[in-house]
Amino acid sequence: MKAKRLTRREFLGVTAATGAGLALAGCKPSVPATEAPAATQAAPTKAAAPTAAPPTKDKIVVGMSRPLTGALVAIGDSAFGPISKAFVEEVNAAGGIEVAEYGKKLPIETIIYDDTSDVGTMTRLTEKLILEDKVDFLWPACGTSFIYAQAPLAEKYGYLLITAEGGASTIREMLPSMPHVFVTLSFSDWYQLPVFAELVAKAGAKTAFVTYIADLHGIEYSGSAGIEFPKNGIDIVGLRSLPPDMTDFSEVIRAAQATNPDVFCLFGYPGQIMPTVGTCMGLGFNPKAWLGGPGVNFGFFHTAFGPAVEGIMGFDGYSPKQSPALKELADKLYTGKPEDIQDWWGHPFYWAGLQIWKQAIEKAGSLDQEAIRNIVATEHFETVLGDTWFDKGLLAKECHMAEIGQWQNGVFEVVGPVEHATAEVVYPKPDWPTG
Amino acid sequence: METFLGVVIGGLLIGGLYALIAMGLSLQYGVARVLNVSHGEFIMLGALTTWSLYTAFHINPLLSLAVCGPAAFALGYVLHRTVYRRILATSPSPGVFESNSLLASFGLLFVIQNVALIAWGANTRGYSYLAVPVSLFGVLFGANQLLTLGCALVVGVAFYVFLARTRVGKAIRAAAQDSTSAALMGVNINSVLALCFGFGAALAAIAGMLISMCYPVTPVMGIPYTIIAMIVVVLGGLGSIPGSFLGGLVLGLIGSLVTYIEPSLTLVAYYLIFALLLLVKPTGIMGR
Amino acid sequence: MQTGKASWLRLRTPVLWLALLAAMGTLSLYASPYTVIMVTNILMYVILTVSWVLFSAPTGYISLATAAFFGVGIYTSATLGGQLPLPLIILTAGVASFVLAALVGALTLRLKGVYFAFFTFGLVELIKHLLLWYEVSVTGVRGRFVVSADNVTIYYIILGILVILLLTSYLIRRSRVGLALQAIGEGEDAAAHTGINVSAVKTFVFALSAVFAGAAGAAMATRWGYVDPYIAFDYLFSFTAVAMAVFGGLGRFEGPILGAVVFAFLRELLITRFPYVYMLVMGSVLVVTILYLPQGLVQLAQKSTWRRLRGHREPA
Repeated sequence: MKAKRLTRREFLGVTAATGAGLALAGCKPSVPATEAPAATQAAPTKAAAPTAAPPTKDKIVVGMSRPLTGALVAIGDSAFGPISKAFVEEVNAAGGIEVAEYGKKLPIETIIYDDTSDVGTMTRLTEKLILEDKVDFLWPACGTSFIYAQAPLAEKYGYLLITAEGGASTIREMLPSMPHVFVTLSFSDWYQLPVFAELVAKAGAKTAFVTYIADLHGIEYSGSAGIEFPKNGIDIVGLRSLPPDMTDFSEVIRAAQATNPDVFCLFGYPGQIMPTVGTCMGLGFNPKAWLGGPGVNFGFFHTAFGPAVEGIMGFDGYSPKQSPALKELADKLYTGKPEDIQDWWGHPFYWAGLQIWKQAIEKAGSLDQEAIRNIVATEHFETVLGDTWFDKGLLAKECHMAEIGQWQNGVFEVVGPVEHATAEVVYPKPDWPTG
Repeated sequence: METFLGVVIGGLLIGGLYALIAMGLSLQYGVARVLNVSHGEFIMLGALTTWSLYTAFHINPLLSLAVCGPAAFALGYVLHRTVYRRILATSPSPGVFESNSLLASFGLLFVIQNVALIAWGANTRGYSYLAVPVSLFGVLFGANQLLTLGCALVVGVAFYVFLARTRVGKAIRAAAQDSTSAALMGVNINSVLALCFGFGAALAAIAGMLISMCYPVTPVMGIPYTIIAMIVVVLGGLGSIPGSFLGGLVLGLIGSLVTYIEPSLTLVAYYLIFALLLLVKPTGIMGR
Repeated sequence: MQTGKASWLRLRTPVLWLALLAAMGTLSLYASPYTVIMVTNILMYVILTVSWVLFSAPTGYISLATAAFFGVGIYTSATLGGQLPLPLIILTAGVASFVLAALVGALTLRLKGVYFAFFTFGLVELIKHLLLWYEVSVTGVRGRFVVSADNVTIYYIILGILVILLLTSYLIRRSRVGLALQAIGEGEDAAAHTGINVSAVKTFVFALSAVFAGAAGAAMATRWGYVDPYIAFDYLFSFTAVAMAVFGGLGRFEGPILGAVVFAFLRELLITRFPYVYMLVMGSVLVVTILYLPQGLVQLAQKSTWRRLRGHREPA
C-alpha cells in the first residue's frame, strides 16, 4: 500500500513538472543566452497575430540556433559565430538600425540557443524562436544539412533566411520554391572548381587524385571536379570517398602517391585536412598542386603547420589587399586577436549577408518580412564586397572577390580568378620543409 | 611488394595507438567494471595539454608525458575513490553497478567536454612535429608516426612488465580474474580498482599526447576514440592487457588494408569484424 | 466512510492516469503551438526510454540498439514519405524495426551481459556506415528530405504510440510472458528448467520493444525535414535512453517515464537558457543524481531518502 502511495506522488511530480514546463514554456518568453530580456510578447494566446504591430518597439530581436556544443562547434565558432557577434556590436555601437516605421534606431538583440550539433534539436529550436519567442528575424544555423532542414521551416513561416556556413549546388533547384531563402557562400561548380581547374591546367597539370568526405559537401565537390577537370584536360587518376569518422589517412595518401598525380584534392573539413597534410609531409608526398577545404582557409591552419603551408591551395573569399573596404573588415575582425580566428573564405560573404539584411530593413522602413524579402531579392547593395546583389536566391557570382587562394609567404593570397588575383599562382608548390 | 609492406607497417603504426587507447579502457572495464564512455575525454585532455605546452612554451611533446601522465592518473584515481567507489557501495548487484556507472561516466563525459570547451575554445588545433619522411625497408613513413608506435610499444611493454612483476601489478591481475577471491586473499580491492582507473586514465592521456603529434586536436575529439577503444577491447578480450595490445594491432592492420583498397568501407569493416567476432568468439582473440 | 476511502485509494491511480491522458489528449486546444512541439519531443524520449525498459529492465540485458530501431524508422519515413499515407509509413517502420530486432535478437541474445551491449552498440554503427556507403556509392545521395507533416498531427501520433506502448508494457508485466521475462532476469538456466522457451521469449519482447522506437522514428523524421545516416543513426539516442531510464529509476514502472520527462525538459531548459554550460550542468546533474539517488529520481519519493540526504548535509 505504501509503495502505491509513493507511486502516485511521483506521478504528481511528473504531472507537476510537465505542467510547470508548459507554464514556463507557454507564458515566459525565454531569456536569451546574451544579456537583456526578450520581452517581445507577453501572452501565449494563439490570437496574437504577428501582423498586429505593437505601437512601440525598442529593439530588433534576432534568433539563432547554433552549435555551441557537439561535433560542429569548431566550425560554428570560427565561421559565422564571430561575424554575427562583431556585426551586432558594431551596429549597436552606432545606436542600431534606423527603422522609419518607428521613427528611431533600434538596437539588435540576439537570442542564441544551443542545438548541440543535432538537426532535430535545431529544427525544434527554430520553431521555438519563431512561434514562441516571436523573433523579428532568423539568422542561420551552421552546416549544409542544417540549412537544408532549416530552409523549409523559414519558408513555411515566411521568415527571411540569409544562410551562412554551408550550401550545396543541390539547394539551387530548391530555391525557386523557397523565395525567402538566400544563399551567400560560393559553391563548387559555381566558379570555384572551374577556376581551379583552369588555373592548374594552364600551369601544366595533367592528372589529379581526388579524395572527398562522404557528405553533401564532399559529394558535390568531387562531382564538380569530375566535370571540370576533364574539361580542362586533367585526367582523374583516383577517386576515394572517406567516411567522416576516419582519423588516419596514411593509406589513402599511399594510394595517391602510387599514381603520382600532379594535383591532389581533399574536399573535407579541418578534421580531414589537418591530418592529411601531416601525412603527406610524413610520406614525402608532394604533388604539384594541393587543394583542400574548408580548412586550408583558416588562420589555425597556418598556425598549426607554419612554413609547411606554403603553396597549399584552398577556397577563398577575399584578401585585404583587394579594397579598402575589405582591409577595414579584416582589421575590424582580426586586429589584436590570435591568428587562429582568421577565415579567408566565408567571413566577407557572411558579413555582406548581414549588411544586405540591415540595408534592406532600412530601405523597407519596417520589420515586415515580405517587404524586406522583396528588397533583398531585387535590389543592389553596397557591401564589403562592393556592389552586391542576389541572383535567383544566390549571391551573384559577379560579387565574388575570390575563388581560390594559396598560402604564399605566410599569407593566404588570392590566385584565382586571375582578374581578382593578389598574387600569381605558384606551381609546382614548393617542397615540404625539412626538419 | 613495397606498397604492400607500406600498408602493413602503416597499419601497425596506427594499431599501436589503438592498442594504447584500448589498454586503458581494458583496465577500467576489465578490472574496475566501469564501462567508461568518458575514456576518450582523457585522451582529449592529454592531447590539448600537450598542444598547449608545445605552442605556448615550446615544450617537446614527449616531455609533456611528465605532466599528462601523473595528472591524468591522479584525476582517474580520485574519480574512482569519490564517484565509482560510492556507486559500487550502493549497487546491490553487478548489473546495477554496470548501468549506474555507465550513467555516471556519461555525465562525466559531458562535464569534461564542456570544461575543455570553455578552457581551450572550440577551434581545431594541431602542430607539426617530426612530420618528415623516414625510410624503412625502402618504404617511407612519417617520423612522428614511427615515434608514436615506438612510444606505444615502450609504454605497453613497460606496463605489461609492471603487471607481471610487481606486487601491485599482481594484485590488479588477481582482481581482474576474480575480485571476490582477490579480496579474500588480502588484496585491498578498493585501492586496486582506483589504481586501475588511474592507470587507465594515464594511458589515455599518454595516447592523447601521441595523437596530438599526428592528428588534429579539438575538445570534441574524444568519442570516436572511445568507440575505437571499445572495439579493440572486445577484439582482444575484456580485461586482457596483451589481448588489447594484439587487438589494437589487428584492427590497425585491417583498417590499413581496407583503406588502401576502398576507404569508404573502412568503418564498415571495423564493425563487421567486431560483430562477427562477438558472434563467433565473444571472449575475444585472447579470451579464455 | 472507511470503505469509501479504500475504494478511492484503489481508484486513485487509474483516475490520475485518465486525468493525465485527458490533459495530454487535449493539449493542442489550450497550449501554445510551441508547447505542443516541445511536448512532442519530450514524449519521443519517453517512448525511447520506456521501450528500452520493456526489454532491458526485467532481463538485465543492456541494449544499445535503440538508435538502430529509431534510425530504421527515420529512414523508412525518409524513403517512403509522400508515397504512402503517414499511418502506413509508421506501421511499416514498426514492422521493419520488429524484423530487424527479431533477427538481431535471434542471433545475439545468447550473448551474456555486456557483450550484448557491445554488439548492439556496434549494430548502430554498422548500419550507419553501411547505409552511408550505400547512399554515397549506389544511390549517390548523402541525405534525404522528409515530407513534413502538421505539428499537431505528429503530436497526437506520438502520444498515440506512447499510450499503446504504456498499455503494452503494463499488460506484458502482468502476462505470462512478463513473468517468464522476470524469471529469465533472475537466472536463465533456472528459467529454462521451468519450461520457459527462453530464447523465444527474449527475442519476442526485444522485437516488440523495437516496434515503438521505429514508429517514433518514422513520426519524428517528418519534423526534422532533412536526414542523413549520421543524423538518423546517432548512437547518442541509445545512450540517452539508458541514461534517462537509470536517471529516473528502473525499480518502478513510473521511474523511466519520470527520468525521460525530467531529463528531456532539463535539456530543453539548459540549451535555451544556459547554452554555453549545457553539458556541464547536465553532466553534473547525472553524476550527482546517481551518487545520492542510486535508485534514480523515484527515490526522492521515499521519506528515508530525505532523512538520509539531510543527514549527509548536516556534518558538512
